[in-house]
Amino acid sequence: MTAVIHIENLIKDYGKVRALDGLDLTVTAGEVHGLLGPNGAGKTTTIRILLGLLRPTSGHAEVFGQDPVNHAVDLHRRLAYVPGDVELWPNLTGGEAIDIFSRLRGNADRGLVESLAERFDLDLTKKGRTYSKGNRQKVALVAALASQVELLILDEPTAGLDPLMEAIFQECIREAKAQGTSVLLSSHILAQVEALADRVSIVRAGQVIESGTLAELRHLTRTSVTATVHGETTELAQLPGVHGFTREDGQARLEVDGEHLPQVVSALADLHVTSLVAHPPTLEQLLLRHYGTEGPEQAVAAEKSAERAASTHAGSTRHRRGKEPAGTGTHTAEEQR
Amino acid sequence: MTAMTATAAPTRARSGGALTGTGTLLRFMLRRDRIRLPVWLIAISIFVPYFFSAFEQLFPTQADLAQMASFTTGPMLGLLGGPGYGLDPEQLNFFTFFTGLYLLYILLAAALMNILLVSRHTRVEEQTGRAELVRANVVGAHAPLAATTIVAVAANLVLAVLVLAGLRAYDAPMAGAVAVAAGTGAFGLVFAGVSIAAVQISEYSRTSSAIAGGILGGAFVLRAAGDMIGEHGSALSWITPFAWSQQTRAFVDERWWPLGISVLVSVVLIVTGFVLSTRRDVGAGLRATRRGRSGAPAWLSSPLALAWRLHRGSVRGWAIGLVAGGLVYGATTQPVADSFSGEDNAVVELWAGGAEDIIAGYLNMMVVLMVITTGVFVVLAAGKVRAEESDGRAAPVLATAVSRPAWLAGHVLTIAVAAVVLLLLSGAGIGLAAAVGTGDWSMLSQSLIASLAYSPALLVILGVAAAGYGLHPRLLTLASVLLAFGGFAAVFGEMLQLPDWALAISPWQHTASYPLESVTAAPLLVQGLVALVLAALGIWAFGRRDLRSA
Repeated sequence: MTAVIHIENLIKDYGKVRALDGLDLTVTAGEVHGLLGPNGAGKTTTIRILLGLLRPTSGHAEVFGQDPVNHAVDLHRRLAYVPGDVELWPNLTGGEAIDIFSRLRGNADRGLVESLAERFDLDLTKKGRTYSKGNRQKVALVAALASQVELLILDEPTAGLDPLMEAIFQECIREAKAQGTSVLLSSHILAQVEALADRVSIVRAGQVIESGTLAELRHLTRTSVTATVHGETTELAQLPGVHGFTREDGQARLEVDGEHLPQVVSALADLHVTSLVAHPPTLEQLLLRHYGTEGPEQAVAAEKSAERAASTHAGSTRHRRGKEPAGTGTHTAEEQR
Repeated sequence: MTAMTATAAPTRARSGGALTGTGTLLRFMLRRDRIRLPVWLIAISIFVPYFFSAFEQLFPTQADLAQMASFTTGPMLGLLGGPGYGLDPEQLNFFTFFTGLYLLYILLAAALMNILLVSRHTRVEEQTGRAELVRANVVGAHAPLAATTIVAVAANLVLAVLVLAGLRAYDAPMAGAVAVAAGTGAFGLVFAGVSIAAVQISEYSRTSSAIAGGILGGAFVLRAAGDMIGEHGSALSWITPFAWSQQTRAFVDERWWPLGISVLVSVVLIVTGFVLSTRRDVGAGLRATRRGRSGAPAWLSSPLALAWRLHRGSVRGWAIGLVAGGLVYGATTQPVADSFSGEDNAVVELWAGGAEDIIAGYLNMMVVLMVITTGVFVVLAAGKVRAEESDGRAAPVLATAVSRPAWLAGHVLTIAVAAVVLLLLSGAGIGLAAAVGTGDWSMLSQSLIASLAYSPALLVILGVAAAGYGLHPRLLTLASVLLAFGGFAAVFGEMLQLPDWALAISPWQHTASYPLESVTAAPLLVQGLVALVLAALGIWAFGRRDLRSA
């Protein structure tokens, strides 16, 4: 498998602030690669370096085996980019903006633009300043998807889109993938990444702290178990690999590391279980573990709230805690819509 | 009983009307402006002591002052100063000289301060969506506009007090000083009113500032024409707010009622703004926006074409304004020549080198004014380029197969061509009107040649803008500073006897004053080369720095 994107030990400083701190990332040809992380983790900075808009302080980044700054023009013919916050020219219509982008890239297909606009229910005749955030986002998506390039770089591309449009977006990405397009998808929407990504990299504080297929990442994480039990549970609570054990009346809750699951199952068998719920961690929990402060109680509390959220609205809400920079709360809320 | 009133009052305030939250917003605005507004106020009012200390050095005797005042009489005074009261030798003093010639520029600055202030706290807020956040709180419908109005009124009051203090520090008579200070504040207030009404009309802060700025520019041209036609102004001058502040006859025989017009008009405009604001939604303008084409025209397919498309609208507006301005100024050529005919004084000698050259000197001066005005276009257009980057519209373009140098070069080339064409258009306006007025059609070619001769100097401003921007967006300011200094040097340089090295900084100082002097190629080539090298430096540097976006 050839690497479409290859990043090694990438460091980017903005003055005294270190945005990327030794980031490694590889995206292989034909895969949809999810880039997950909180605000300020360095996702956008990484993408801007891949586009040659920023120069790395040190380290190595290449796209299609070439340097993104020195070969910007050649590379950009082979890729399309959707920013997370699309700004359009106030006096130009969406249709004009799309045409400009595709002509400047050099592979215009007007027919595809019109069919995509129809699918996304986008009015091409409105002026840039009159579009809502969601519609501006659609303009950039249509321009990128119509370009038929080898690589799509999408930076939170569906912020502001409604669920119906989200579904169409996922459809389009699957189609692109079927045609062999590689996709780097930075996202906050976990359900989206779970639905689309072949592999996922989790970014935090300027580093990729976890990377692999969803199955691989789940393997590293704990299974949540809720059981109604009768009898003495002291032994269960002390089994290796069990975390955050609680018991209220007959309800026992615990988390167990993947490799210790068999022992827990056999221990439960002796406890007259009358009900049992066990589920693999959602990506939500996975992320919370990496974002949250690592104190076990807090992590458990976080995961519980995530469970509740997951059971009602898969991936539509997220609770944050821990080392998040202050003041990002409102942004998060907006991005989650 | 007292207890009841005491509890009732806050309840009523809390349940609140359209003005709820005004106080909080007011404090918030003052906090946001805690640096910017004082800087504006001080920068404007500092010119009062600056001018007076300069006068004391430059004109030690009454004779010196009289000689200087005689430079600018009749239409020249109308063009550059105003209606001019108390400039005849018997009444002339520093105060009448200041009011006659320099007050105009303080008024202009006060108007700009108000236009930007109102736009900053109203339209820019709505456009960025911040107003929504504010309005979603316990804030009445009129509170943001009311708080803005209070800030503007307060700023103009402070400005008036500072001007008054400056004048009194140089022992100006109280009545005249009050007339000048109140005139400054009142003029500012009128333009606060103009902006408050204008921001309701358009959805876009740039457009609404442009409406208010256009009214200021139009008023300036009308005033100039009006003051040139008749002694102490004419009916045309009285249409403009300038007259209401300049016609108080300060330091001569004060009259106060013109200030009343300003106050009345301000109140009407502000009330109009409030009424209009109730007829529209937050974030929307009164003028509905139209639909456009669903695809781009075929020619719109290169970075250069995109740059032209983005600058096109403002270039058209400037073209209309500059041609109109050129025609108005050009039409004054004959009256100016008449007012100096037969006079054999030091004025003509100094100003134009001889009576026969009066028209040539005047033509040259008008072209220089147009060069400076076109320089404002250059700086604003460069600011637009910077906004493309900072607002995040440049990044998606640069993520296509457009190189950084191609992107910036497209903009620089567009602005360069537009600037030269605009300058030639204004020159054509001057030349045409001057030719019709004097019956001498060589005026047209002279004026066009002069415009062409000043083009390289104008492009130096663009070169500085490109180089500064390419190195760092913030360094774009260098171009504004150079333009402001060049404008200052051109208008006041000789009068205030700036040293040669200072004058040499101004780009147009090196251009021959055609048609007064004959054009020599060498300086033009050097200027062209400097502009080219600076632009190339900027384009090169832009490819080597990080893109900065919000």
